[in-house]
Amino acid sequence: MNDVAQIPEIEAEPRADEALEKAKILLVDDEPKSLFALQELLSQLGQNLMVAQSGEEALRLALKNDFAVILLDVRMPGIDGFETARLVRSRDRSKSTPIIFLTAAADEMTAMFRGYEVGAVDFLMKPVIPEVLKSKVAVFVELFRKSERLRESEDKLRRLAAHLISVREEERAHIAREIHDELGQVLTGIKMEVGWLAKRLKEPALLEKTDSMSKLIDSTVQTVRKIATGLRPEMLDDMGLIAAVAWQAKEFQKRTGIRCRAKLPPEVKFDIDISTTMFRIFQEILTNVARHARATRVDIELTLGAEQVGLDVVDNGVGIQDNELTARKSLGLLGMQERALLFGGDVRITGTPGHGTRVSVTIPLRKPK
Amino acid sequence: MRILIADDHPIVRHGLKQMLAADPSATIVGEATNGDEALALARKLEWDMAIFDFTMPGRSGLDLLGDMKKEFPGRPVLILSMHSEDVHGSRVLRGGAAGYITKDSAPQELATAVRKVANGGKYVSASLAEILASECSSDPQKALHEKLSDREYRVMWLLATGKQISEIAKEMGLSPSTVSTYRTRILRKLGLTSNAALVHYAVRHQLVG
Repeated sequence: MNDVAQIPEIEAEPRADEALEKAKILLVDDEPKSLFALQELLSQLGQNLMVAQSGEEALRLALKNDFAVILLDVRMPGIDGFETARLVRSRDRSKSTPIIFLTAAADEMTAMFRGYEVGAVDFLMKPVIPEVLKSKVAVFVELFRKSERLRESEDKLRRLAAHLISVREEERAHIAREIHDELGQVLTGIKMEVGWLAKRLKEPALLEKTDSMSKLIDSTVQTVRKIATGLRPEMLDDMGLIAAVAWQAKEFQKRTGIRCRAKLPPEVKFDIDISTTMFRIFQEILTNVARHARATRVDIELTLGAEQVGLDVVDNGVGIQDNELTARKSLGLLGMQERALLFGGDVRITGTPGHGTRVSVTIPLRKPK
Repeated sequence: MRILIADDHPIVRHGLKQMLAADPSATIVGEATNGDEALALARKLEWDMAIFDFTMPGRSGLDLLGDMKKEFPGRPVLILSMHSEDVHGSRVLRGGAAGYITKDSAPQELATAVRKVANGGKYVSASLAEILASECSSDPQKALHEKLSDREYRVMWLLATGKQISEIAKEMGLSPSTVSTYRTRILRKLGLTSNAALVHYAVRHQLVG
């Protein structure tokens, strides 16, 4: 089959990225003459053309390759075109591969219906008109290319998002530690020095000064703590997720007046990255409750199984609407989903208008890869 | 009294030494700069009490405390921490520490803590005691504010943070007269008579932050 002379690409469009791998096209026909002619025609497209002379051979090839389009002769001995198409489309990997049936002119309408049923996207009558065949196949090649590119860029975006999330988390942890430890310790040192000084002073005016210095240091320490905790709660690293969730719930209730009830398992520490992910999602959920829910109560349940950690947060507010869930601007929701996805987890949000919103998060404890 | 100290910050160790120098009965026998070193020194040296920073490089926090309690069950460990009591305090005491003291405590407080712990006692600061007390009485069902409905609770919180009736009405989507009714009910349930008393109640029970 490979002894066909290479015909120069007359019709090939100039490609911006020549590096792109050639799209694979499968041509199936049991008749050598017809196969040869079609092969010659299609090779002009400059893609990776593969051929099969039977349904069985076609299936074998379809098992191993992703085709941009399959050109399939209807009438073949053994497994015929329709059956081949049905089998190809029944596999997950090739379930949406476009198939163009090649039929003899005499084939009737019923055959065409059958063809569409098994996933044909088009029919071509033999003998085919070269221009029609080429342009049809070219369309599918282009479509295939575009969806490949889309998949690639989606994948890149996802990896980029994942990278950004982890970089941000690391940076936050780093800054929090720097602020809390370095700055905090220096303040502690200064405070001790002031204490030493105060002990040796007798004059009331000077003692008043050391006293006010001491108070200033105290309030600075408070500020340092607040900033550091805001960046990354030390609880999470020291005591683990469960303690951190308990603490955050209490803080939330204090800060918003929205009553929080948390049902938590006994405190244990587990993987810090998964804990961080869950904790950040939890914070985002609470932020949403405070901002949008108009709730007076939040019920939190954290469950720790052998395989996964689960979090359920239910509020009694206005309830999220479906259109809010899908709104493009709901980046916060998207962010939660992305975070969970990084660890193979998922976030489900359901709202009942007037009866609150439920957010359920599960993350497997075993990390992907 | 032979004391072992561990803190990764020279400035804090310096301050500690200075403070302990005022106590003639105290001698610092060892100084560690991280958790692992602290544990190694504890095994090597003769000591009566340890003063450890809670957060240090290497093994630290509750893990280090657990190790110390396991290996030297009888000897007191006083935990020094940058973190405020409400975050770690009660867990550290439950973990077996003889005391928990924050680094911003007054020097006298530290001296008191050292003396108390050295004599076999436990040291709990006034603010930690308050937290422990509220945790114990954390029969939360018993607290009066637990009798409030969720909505009353929120109105109470809004009042305690200084919001006017009209603001609360707007925020909660209620009429001002409904909010007033809530207020009356809340005061009755909490056994209070004025907004000022309500603010005081909320602060005392740590309902506002």
